[in-house]
Amino acid sequence: MTRREAALILGLRESATPDKVKEAHRKVMVANHPDAGGSDYLASKVNEAKDVMLGKTKGSNSAF
Amino acid sequence: MAGRIIANLIVVGSGVLVRAFAQAYRQALQNASKNGVAREAVENMKKVGKTMSESEARQILGVSENASWEEILKKYDSLFENNAKNGSFYLQSKVFRAKECLESAVKKDGE
Repeated sequence: MTRREAALILGLRESATPDKVKEAHRKVMVANHPDAGGSDYLASKVNEAKDVMLGKTKGSNSAF
Repeated sequence: MAGRIIANLIVVGSGVLVRAFAQAYRQALQNASKNGVAREAVENMKKVGKTMSESEARQILGVSENASWEEILKKYDSLFENNAKNGSFYLQSKVFRAKECLESAVKKDGE
């Protein structure tokens, strides 16, 4: 996942601060929570997006 | 006398060769990076152009292989609305594309 895609998934700019990333992540997870009718796939993508934006994991392979 | 000429030739010749090598190496690096990126871009475009694989569409909507169309629509409606309220436009459009892809897939099976 590229940083650009991660930013798109979370609805942020690529230069967003970690605070904004966490805030956006929480908001988007509410919409896609697997326990609340979302899909596991989208939820894991949202989590991956947060990790990429926070620089935790280097971007992995498959594009969305 | 001739020796000097030959020596000159050798020096100039090797200079030309070294410069040519350097340029070729640089060009090869450029090509490699361009090819890498270009190849990925082309592959991605091919994937996107093929209206998203059906299995990915099913995963996005969280729907099983033999789900009914009503089930698909129900998941689509709730996901679309939730992402419109709280999610990102990108996810919303992914959900939409997934439904579109499954729609054509299901219609094809139905006929």
